Amino acid sequence: MLSADIIAQILWTSLATSSYAVLFALAFALVLKVNRVFNFAQAAMMTVSFYAAHATVALAGLPSWLGFLAALAGSLAIALLIEVLGFRTLRRRRAAQMFVFIFTLIISELVAYIAMLVFGTWPATIFPSLFWPVTLVGGIAVSAWDLPAVGAMLLAVAALFGFLRFARMGQFMVAVSDNPDLAELYGIAKERVFLFAMVISALLVALAMFLYGTRAQVQPTTSIELMLFAIAATIIGGIGNLWGAAITALLLGVVQNASVLFIPSEWQGFLLYVFLFLAIVFFPNGIRLPQRSRRLTRKTPTPTLDASPTSDPQKV
Amino acid sequence: MEYLYTIIILVGLYVVLASSFNLVIGYAGLISIAHPVFYAIGAYGSALLARDFGWPAPLAMLAGALLAVAASILLALPSLRVSGDYLLIASIGFQLGLLEIIKNVSWTGGAGGLTNIPAAFAPSTPHWVYAVIVVVVAALSVLAVRAVAHGAYGRAMSALRDDELAFSMLGRNAVAMKVGSFALGCGLAGFAGALYAHQFRYLAPDQFEILQSSAILTMVVVGGLRTTWGPVVGAVMLQALPQAITFMNLPPSLLGPLQGLLFTGLVLVFMFIRPQGLIPAADVWTGAKEAHDVGRR
Amino acid sequence: MSAVVEIRGLEKRFGGIVVADGIDLTLTAGRVLGLIGPNGAGKTSLFNLISGVVRPDAGSVRLDGRPLDGMKMHQRARLGLSRTWQNLRLFPSLSVLDNLMVAPRRYAGESLLRLAFFPGVVRQAEAESRRKALQILERTGLADVANKPAGGLTFGQQKLVGVARALMNDARCLLLDEPMAGVEGQAYQTIQNVVRDLAASGVAVCVVEHNVAFIRDLCDEGVFMFAGRVLARGAVADLIADPRLTELYFGT
Ligand SMILES: Nc1ncnc2c1ncn2[C@@H]1O[C@H](COP(=O)(O)OP(=O)(O)OP(=O)(O)O)[C@@H](O)[C@H]1O
Ligand SMILES: [Mg+2]
Repeated sequence: MLSADIIAQILWTSLATSSYAVLFALAFALVLKVNRVFNFAQAAMMTVSFYAAHATVALAGLPSWLGFLAALAGSLAIALLIEVLGFRTLRRRRAAQMFVFIFTLIISELVAYIAMLVFGTWPATIFPSLFWPVTLVGGIAVSAWDLPAVGAMLLAVAALFGFLRFARMGQFMVAVSDNPDLAELYGIAKERVFLFAMVISALLVALAMFLYGTRAQVQPTTSIELMLFAIAATIIGGIGNLWGAAITALLLGVVQNASVLFIPSEWQGFLLYVFLFLAIVFFPNGIRLPQRSRRLTRKTPTPTLDASPTSDPQKV
Repeated sequence: MEYLYTIIILVGLYVVLASSFNLVIGYAGLISIAHPVFYAIGAYGSALLARDFGWPAPLAMLAGALLAVAASILLALPSLRVSGDYLLIASIGFQLGLLEIIKNVSWTGGAGGLTNIPAAFAPSTPHWVYAVIVVVVAALSVLAVRAVAHGAYGRAMSALRDDELAFSMLGRNAVAMKVGSFALGCGLAGFAGALYAHQFRYLAPDQFEILQSSAILTMVVVGGLRTTWGPVVGAVMLQALPQAITFMNLPPSLLGPLQGLLFTGLVLVFMFIRPQGLIPAADVWTGAKEAHDVGRR
Repeated sequence: MSAVVEIRGLEKRFGGIVVADGIDLTLTAGRVLGLIGPNGAGKTSLFNLISGVVRPDAGSVRLDGRPLDGMKMHQRARLGLSRTWQNLRLFPSLSVLDNLMVAPRRYAGESLLRLAFFPGVVRQAEAESRRKALQILERTGLADVANKPAGGLTFGQQKLVGVARALMNDARCLLLDEPMAGVEGQAYQTIQNVVRDLAASGVAVCVVEHNVAFIRDLCDEGVFMFAGRVLARGAVADLIADPRLTELYFGT
């Protein structure tokens, strides 16, 4: 039963569905890395961007590119609100970590309830139909959704990579995430960097949610589950390691898709929680790959007897 | 009259839930949202033991609470070993995952719910008896949490919250203490669940969803974290408020979200405008003898 | 004279920084050892390695002959290891007295089961620990502030509370990390007396301090650390007099 065709099909489907999963994971991992916040409010950004697109395209009958813009605008608006009114205030008050957790989680729930009141609890879509024409490519069914989705994902990932590597703001982000206090010394405005990370995360979320919403039905509570998948990927990928999170999201997608062969379909959803538990129990610090010498490690010469240590003579 | 008893029982159960959650999130400083799922474990455990295995209700209730204790240790040990942050994530996964299981297996009644749960007492027993029992249990829970929080254990919990490293260096086992207080809080929630099951005699998985988590969290945050009476005030107030909405005869599809909006909105408002809650906690820990004035300042 | 703590071949590096480079050191019962060295020499790191805050890359630590390797901090403390912190680490939401009362080596109130089933035992242990805490506060001149929140004291007083808290353990070995930094006046004599009494009762003490006069007055012996290595061991006066060490210390 496990023919090469089936395996190829599973791999392809996994790659296609990973398009949004990778972006969700990147968005979550980025904010965790730079802002050092488990941003559970990402689910709120996801919910808002989906319903913004849904309202624009499905309800108002406007063209899909306007729907995409609406998703972007919705996600950005929420991200800015959360950062400017929420995180900033909490940082200023030096609020306990617990309050930040509660805040992000409560925002997601609040938005879900608002969505339920406005749009109802039943599943909704962006386009009236979720059906995409399928072509057979060498025995593999490729839908018209797959290629643009994967292409968009790859573009977004490349843009993020380029941004972090070459743009000044991106380099600042990496610097702040490595050492917030040191970054401050060099005059990097942390507040702006935090804001920017939220903005990028919002853009990634909007794109990913638009992709998801054109392929599957969404309910107000869907986002939280999608986010848990991103969290599992982030933890297993190693906290602070963006690309690890992205690759893990892809691999978890393969496992989930392959599980169709072994697990009854009503238990498919349960797999997510298994991932989450395995991540926490077995890979709390991520999967350790053999240490490569990291580019950013500061090289400090081993002190020798001739070195001149600085000291404060007053103390003696 | 019947309706009044029902309200008293519900308020009493929420007092147990909120006080025990205050122990977890307030005094022990452990962030978990899975409190309703331990309520569910107590409820389902007790109901199934009584219904399918013929256990007498009081024994089944105790077993339900112990089941919740066992489950909470299973959840807390692996996640707390790493860091407190992971408990929250694990708790979200645990809550949604366990509800997914309850919905998908047949012996819990599935998504349709568990019916025909044996009542705790013979039908001839007057209804106020159960209300009195619940109120007594609620009072005992509040006192138990207070005793723990203001005794030797509470002093240690307070120190642990302040500085885990220094705490460990004094020979205190931080992980054991966190797991212990988590288990106690969750066990109380489990017992409340068992009390619920044998009174209302019907359980459905949606009763234990994240809406419940926000409700309980709201009671504690709005009432006053780390105070004896804060969660009690919160539970009474927030149990009465949704009842008022119930009277407006809204369709259930609106009622749930509206309650959720109310709970989450209140948490946000309090978090930013009055973070200390209605009853502010004292800044400095006080032992049992001085505990009577805690929270009244 | 018996060895209380034996350190053999201890190594630790953080990235490129070597904080312990094959340290061998013995702390002896009844003796006070002074640990001196410039900033960043690895003195605090050595304490962290002994007490289990940081895991070594190699080497071993024994307490009364028992290997501590792999043990958690609280397990080491329960075997009689006690320390203070360079940066205080008091519990600000507890009173001074309560800061001490969480610190006895055995804490009866730590177990919920014992609280539920043997409340009498806990009550008795609490009374005992209270008596002892008050006695220590008396000895360290903190009796007046016993009921004040620890966070509200002056820096010098907080430093003393840190030392007083470490005394609750009845430790076999006490590690003091810069007990005098920021302390002045009366406290100087108090700490000297307390540490001397402790050593006289057979405790092995190790003191890190930049205040050389304090070290010279107090310690039976001194050790000079630099870049994670023990460079010299001997009488404190001799160490201070050695021009090579002075040069390393000041980095001239
Ligand atoms: N956890 C850590 N991670 C990385 N580097 C560390 C860590 N702990 C200590 N170091 C580094 O090791 C070196 C030695 O530090 P240590 O605190 O042991 O010095 P010290 O001798 O106590 O100095 P001081 O007199 O200033 O207290 C320092 O350069 C410090 O930055
Ligand atoms: Mg030091």
